[in-house]
Amino acid sequence: MIRYLARRVAVMPLLLLGTASMVFVVSRATSGNPLVSIVGARNLNNPVIVAAAKQRWGLDRSLPVQYGRFMINLLRGDLGTSFSTRRPVLRDLWDRLPATLELTIAALVLGSAVGILLGVLAARHRNRALDHGARAVGLLGSSLPAFWLGMLLLYLLYSRLGWVQGPNRLNARVRPPTRLTGFFTVDSLLHGQWSLLWQACMHLVLPATVLAWGVVGIVSRLVRASLLEELSSEYVRVARAMGLRERTVVATHALRNALLPTITIVAFAFAYLITNAVLVEKVFSWPGVGSYAVEAARQLDYPAVAGVTLLGGLAFLLTNLVSDIAYTMADPRIQLS
Amino acid sequence: MDPTRETVMIRELARTSSSARRRPRRGLGLVAVAGALATVVGVAPAAARQAQADTLVIDRGMDINSLDPARAYCDTCQIFMTAVYETLVGLAPDNTTLVPRLATSWESNAAQTTFTFHLDPKATFADGKPVTSADVKFSWERLKGLAGSASYMVSTIQAIDASDPHTVVVTLTQPNSAFLAQTNGSYLGIVEQSVAAANGATADPTTDKAEPWFLAHSAGSGPFVLESYEPGNELRFRRNDAYWGTKPAFAEVVIKETPQAVTQRQQLEQGEADIAMQLSADVASGMAGPDVSVQKVPSYNFVYLALSPGAAGGEGLTPQVRQAIRLALDYHGLVDVTVGGAGRPQASPIPNGFAGTDGLAEPTQDVAKAKELLSAAGVTNLTLDATFPSLNVYGVDFSTAMQKVQADLQAVGITLKLNPVEISVWADKIGKDGIPVTMLYFAPDFTDSSQYVQYFGLTTGSQWQSWSKAPANTQEADQLSKAFAEPDPARRAAVYHQLATMMIDDQVIIPVVNPDLFLAARSDIQGMHYSVCCNLDLARLSRG
Repeated sequence: MIRYLARRVAVMPLLLLGTASMVFVVSRATSGNPLVSIVGARNLNNPVIVAAAKQRWGLDRSLPVQYGRFMINLLRGDLGTSFSTRRPVLRDLWDRLPATLELTIAALVLGSAVGILLGVLAARHRNRALDHGARAVGLLGSSLPAFWLGMLLLYLLYSRLGWVQGPNRLNARVRPPTRLTGFFTVDSLLHGQWSLLWQACMHLVLPATVLAWGVVGIVSRLVRASLLEELSSEYVRVARAMGLRERTVVATHALRNALLPTITIVAFAFAYLITNAVLVEKVFSWPGVGSYAVEAARQLDYPAVAGVTLLGGLAFLLTNLVSDIAYTMADPRIQLS
Repeated sequence: MDPTRETVMIRELARTSSSARRRPRRGLGLVAVAGALATVVGVAPAAARQAQADTLVIDRGMDINSLDPARAYCDTCQIFMTAVYETLVGLAPDNTTLVPRLATSWESNAAQTTFTFHLDPKATFADGKPVTSADVKFSWERLKGLAGSASYMVSTIQAIDASDPHTVVVTLTQPNSAFLAQTNGSYLGIVEQSVAAANGATADPTTDKAEPWFLAHSAGSGPFVLESYEPGNELRFRRNDAYWGTKPAFAEVVIKETPQAVTQRQQLEQGEADIAMQLSADVASGMAGPDVSVQKVPSYNFVYLALSPGAAGGEGLTPQVRQAIRLALDYHGLVDVTVGGAGRPQASPIPNGFAGTDGLAEPTQDVAKAKELLSAAGVTNLTLDATFPSLNVYGVDFSTAMQKVQADLQAVGITLKLNPVEISVWADKIGKDGIPVTMLYFAPDFTDSSQYVQYFGLTTGSQWQSWSKAPANTQEADQLSKAFAEPDPARRAAVYHQLATMMIDDQVIIPVVNPDLFLAARSDIQGMHYSVCCNLDLARLSRG
């Protein structure tokens, strides 16, 4: 397995370089003028200002030269400087990634937990009201667009009822905790700032719920189907014959096996969450990679677009790898080679 | 399930079934943690409450491109620059009268080629050092040298004499009566030379390395200093406690990235924000109450339709057709549809209230005459490409506005093929082939009408002469030169009036809506005021 993993890790840089080349070609082939976000629409015909901007950002060079510089810088670990934030893209991503990860991990945990619970309840109460209810909740989550749901819940639960905290990661009047991990929940916990921890958690509730709901639908349906299959198998009959309580049979034995395919789905759900985070971050003014990606694409911010794409590629590769490893841990018969 | 797996499962079952029953319950622990957390969410201590009251929170979609004074150019940058870097000349609340700021007085020669400013000897930077003419020279030469977006405002500077530390003498390459108003533009704020230079600032773009430093620090004389900046999240100011003028009321100001108007309203109503600045008419409606006040003020911003006879596919846009298009538009209907009536039509590309606009007739719809003109020109079934940037600016949704324009023109027999695109795509297209019919917006950088003539007039090489590819109008160039050389404001206004009329007759730029601005704030916030040069002056704000 070690050799397999080493091979997978070794091939990653090549895949990422290929991704970088594709991004470069696609972004340059897209019809659009990035200068409008650099100098503003008002100055697009000002020859002095345009020439200075082109020279500064290397846009006066031929495409092969631009590509060569881009790849050389990339090999040095330099993703370039964003046209719009004027900071190194690597720093932008470093600053924003924890916000996205904190949100998506919270959504993943919440979505998986609720999805598994609903799946189990639905399987245990097959074709009864609870089953139909659980399936309806899952279906709603899969069907409702995240941005619409976000706006609706913001209006209802934050603006009208005041039950939850609203947009942003924290109230603007408080300072975030000193960065250790970039996760406000973890950092405030590590610094012992309890009120900050509470506020960070409360600000997570709504966006994480919106994001998680889609996962609930996927996970609950899968768990229901798998668990139903497991519950009709021989070893469950044996377990029941041995006098084990039904709760133990389901929770300790059948569910463990039923969760095996869920691991793969959860890995893909992570990718789903990252994609949907783009919309949710926009609605909740969440300063993560998603909103950064949207602005980068909108403004044709070449270095930022490349940075976000490479980060997405890396996340996809790592998620697949972790998923494969998790498989071997959950099912000893699976060998990676 | 395959038989092998069944066997494994049954063996596993036998091994683990007993241990499964012995797992401890952890629910109580979680409840205890949750309880502990809940106990800390009590009433904030008095010091924390005071700190919160001393902090002003503004919600807006930040469009910051840089915080380097020589490179910044955006609406939020105007707020930032005004708060941190002071200009020589200020602007009174009437948005017209220039008042002293770093300079106590100024004069110009009759030819409008030399301007002399006398600096206030009391003026100091945040570190206590005096503001001198050398700082002014450094700041403006750097702005020009780096050729950032706002550098066009100092492009006519030929030399700056800073031999007297408290006197700045600026010589221009050509007469420029707008220069005084330009020095009031927030982008011409003064930077402390010694601090900036020590951190890599030069006037040469090949050697200047200061932008990263300016993104985290400031070197101005204004009432606030930059505390921190996180792109896409927040811009935080701290009060300059050594400010040489009247100290601002708030110890801290936070501009929070909140792009959605609806979210701005929600946060304002919940008290998480003190000011919301980018509310559209529909979002702002019904908002005023005991906790929130809403001011509707006329703005100098506007959205316009642009006709390009020289663009590919725009050959049919002859002067008669352009005039017919102008007559076919339902201006009040456009104001109603786009901003719910919170705005007004605008006669010329120089907005209402600027020099030269007094007495200009409001545009009116005359469908019969429009049809008559088209008939006389022999135009039937004219179809035009209308690619426009997919934007929502000043509460005006461009798609909505263009649909109304499309309906109005359809009534006279002109078909628009609407094509909303990202602004980068739009910029690419208009820069190459041009676009027959499009829509864009404009906001002033300073308080002089010349900026509109330079941008919208058909003087050779102006922005819209290039984009529309319409023949240059030499009369406009002559009149603009005359305005630049005219020292008397009243006579200058008369020249701009003529220029405004000429630009109306060009029929290239047709303003469609001059929207009002909604300034919404918590009821205890005082000093809200919209400024042409500076957007919002943070130093004027206080909590009542």
